[in-house]
Amino acid sequence: MKRNLYLLLSLVILASIVLAACGGVAPATQPPTDIEPAGTEEPVGTEPAATSGIAIISFVQQPTTLNPLYANQWFSTITTQFWLKGLWSFDSDNNPIPEIAAEIPTTENGGLSEDGKTLTINLRDDVTWSDGEPVTANDFVFTYEMYMAESNVVATRYPYEDYVASVEATDDHTLVVNFTEPFAAWLTSIFQYGVLPEHVLRPVFEADGTLDTAAWNTAPTVGVGPFVFTEWETDSHMIFEANPNWINPPRLEQIFIRMADDAAQEVAILAGDTDIGTFLDWSQADTINNSGVAKFVIQPAGYDEGWYLNFDPETTHPAMLDANVRKAIVLATDREKITQDLLGGQTVPPATFWDSTPPYGDPDLKPYPYDPEEAKRLLDEAGWVDSNEDGTRDKDGRELVLRYIASQRQLRKDVQAVVQQMWAQVGIGAELVNYGDDFFNGYADGGPMATGNFDIAQWSDAPNFPDPDRSDYWSCSEVAGADNPDGANWQDYCNPDLDVLFGQQATETDPEARKQLYYQIGKIMYDEVVWVGLWKDPDLWSISNRLQGVKLSGATPFWNAHEWTISE
Amino acid sequence: MVNYIIRRLAQAIPQLFLISLILFMLMQAFGDPIASLGVRTPPRPADRERLRRQLGLDQPVYVQYLVWLAGNDWMKIDMDGDGVAETPGKRLGVLRGDFGNSLVSKRPVLELITERLPNTLLLMVTVELVVIIFSLIIGVYSAVRKYSLFDNLVTGLSFVGYSMPIFLIALLLMYLFSINFKEWGLPYLPTVGMFDPEVGRTPGQIALHMILPVLSLSIISIAGYSRYVRSSMLEILDLDYIRTARAKGLREMRVVMRHALRNATLPFITLIGLDIPFLLAGAVVTESIFAWPGTGRLFIEHTAQSDFPVLMGILMMTAIAVVIFQLLTDIAYSYLDPRIRIE
Repeated sequence: MKRNLYLLLSLVILASIVLAACGGVAPATQPPTDIEPAGTEEPVGTEPAATSGIAIISFVQQPTTLNPLYANQWFSTITTQFWLKGLWSFDSDNNPIPEIAAEIPTTENGGLSEDGKTLTINLRDDVTWSDGEPVTANDFVFTYEMYMAESNVVATRYPYEDYVASVEATDDHTLVVNFTEPFAAWLTSIFQYGVLPEHVLRPVFEADGTLDTAAWNTAPTVGVGPFVFTEWETDSHMIFEANPNWINPPRLEQIFIRMADDAAQEVAILAGDTDIGTFLDWSQADTINNSGVAKFVIQPAGYDEGWYLNFDPETTHPAMLDANVRKAIVLATDREKITQDLLGGQTVPPATFWDSTPPYGDPDLKPYPYDPEEAKRLLDEAGWVDSNEDGTRDKDGRELVLRYIASQRQLRKDVQAVVQQMWAQVGIGAELVNYGDDFFNGYADGGPMATGNFDIAQWSDAPNFPDPDRSDYWSCSEVAGADNPDGANWQDYCNPDLDVLFGQQATETDPEARKQLYYQIGKIMYDEVVWVGLWKDPDLWSISNRLQGVKLSGATPFWNAHEWTISE
Repeated sequence: MVNYIIRRLAQAIPQLFLISLILFMLMQAFGDPIASLGVRTPPRPADRERLRRQLGLDQPVYVQYLVWLAGNDWMKIDMDGDGVAETPGKRLGVLRGDFGNSLVSKRPVLELITERLPNTLLLMVTVELVVIIFSLIIGVYSAVRKYSLFDNLVTGLSFVGYSMPIFLIALLLMYLFSINFKEWGLPYLPTVGMFDPEVGRTPGQIALHMILPVLSLSIISIAGYSRYVRSSMLEILDLDYIRTARAKGLREMRVVMRHALRNATLPFITLIGLDIPFLLAGAVVTESIFAWPGTGRLFIEHTAQSDFPVLMGILMMTAIAVVIFQLLTDIAYSYLDPRIRIE
């Protein structure tokens, strides 16, 4: 008995020694701490207002790069609002707010020429890079050159490749952009994600022949914004410190971005360890609102979940070519019920592609109601009846079974299953197919949509928000095929009337006239049932109660970061 | 012995080639790296085609494999899309130590991996130590006190622990020790990350942030391994030489710790030898749930983006580690067990 006691005792001692040793392991194998503790520093006496507080933001995806040239992912682009401002940002109501530009160019102030082909932008003369060098028009010219350089593997050349003829600096603070034709979408696309510091990056480009591998891409120590980049440890965190020299000095001392996956993010929000949560899900709304430490915030960003239909007579189901059948499909789908049952009833179906991009959605158009009786009548009228009594309508020996495709996302699979049941009520069959990454592949890569291997495809998309242009999805010149593998119109929809309107809006630089054109476009697409909205798909955020003054926006979410404060 | 090591290493080379070839082929099934490059909308077809060309993804698979293996500094590539290869390549290839650059971040793969490795090792080595110690203690004690209350309790608990998925354990621990404890006004543990930004990256902070992930990862392994130790201990304790030792009048403590335990741990060493290379690969689920910046998360993030240079880098690193640690285990075995001799 005594021996056993000894055994137990020695085991306990052994365990505690090892535990102590384990405690010692932590600092020993820890990577060298090249990072200063981010604790409160001496209050800065000379500054007009002392900064204080750290805002903690969680990102559920890691930014791939910080250089806007290579930003191929939303989290990379939204980060620039902290440290790399562009000409202007957009506020919560989508109004442009000048940043480096002295004012927003208009035809009235002479910034936009009468023919809409030349944009003259006056830059503020008091803006400096965080290292003290002045920001000049030459930085913008350099940025344009870098977008177009063949040796740079940039994310996109839109709009410079297709619409911009040249970018010039007529003097240090005057930037002139010449378009190949009047270009209505300039406000949301010209230097939207910031400007590159020529004095830092030109030498790198000349030495390496490319900016692809520049250290600045992941450690941009020189920027222009309310905060300055200080460190980024991939998959862990990113830190931006206050930049007191920015034209709108920030009130927070630091922005701390923590990389955390969905499950980690939710726990951190509920524990009060995260001030801003990103990319949330509708199902998290109640949990967060009831937590007492944070609130759930809905911010429209132009996105709508919707159906894209196949109009190519060679590949689509013949029924899809009949507008009345398309309408019957919509009438047979209870979209209200889908949003109620699967999305917590917090969103509604849009009538047009532009309902989430104010002011371009026509408020007079209402989503088609759920009316299965009318759907049956329309299908009967169109000749689709169940002649062989197998439960599915048919015509000329062809069953009315539609190939309904989507990505692998669980929510979409659920919606597909629910819709299949609803359609069965009126005798429409559905073949449900889900794709992986190849869903969006182009024609050359055999993508299911590009090659027409679908009748109805579902995904969430937006125009170049807050600009409404998305005409490439439905214009005749973009129809994808063997002769045009780069075409963006995978639906193969071609309507000459719509094409004329798309052409007009692209060059219409008067906002009111452009809005009217979009009302007409929306009406045609609504009547012809060219696109079917399932639900408005805004950005879903959470903001902690201790973080004050946050006004998110759809296009540039962190546009007012300099006004944020922390209250304990 | 030296001959044996050389022979084993020579065998490993064709093995690694074959592994790399098979993995590279499997990567092709992962999906299209370009498809996941869109901001939130699919990339424009014109950009898609340009990116494919500039990244070399328009080349046949065997060319891509060759470039990955041997680099492309001996050939020219077409960057501007006019069909004429004009730009000299810059990559050296794996054989010359260049694992290429990530397709999404353009950063060197080796840099990405070596950056995470310390974090992963810190977490995983701690876990492995905790697991070894506790499974030995629990296993030995259960074996010595067979069918006692402690043994039955531990047996029951280890079945519960072993059958719980790790994400459930992790989330339960986080909700209990972080959210609920905070609500109840008790001292609570931090949820995610490696340190609290208000305090900074101090050893104390890191240790505090390690408690929950280490606990979650250890529970399942301890549950499994302690059963293993228990059964091999039970086997040994019934053998004749243990009875002889007892008959000699040795103290029970000495019999168990010296005579029985040393032999019972031999199979356990094989198990740990197999475990070690996978410590490098990190813990995918746990690292994700606790936002721990390790190689497991690196792997899962880049899987979602079909970033095959990074995936190949991590997989090859693991493959090489498996080969090396297998060899080390075999050598260690021959020292520990006099019955085994390496020719």
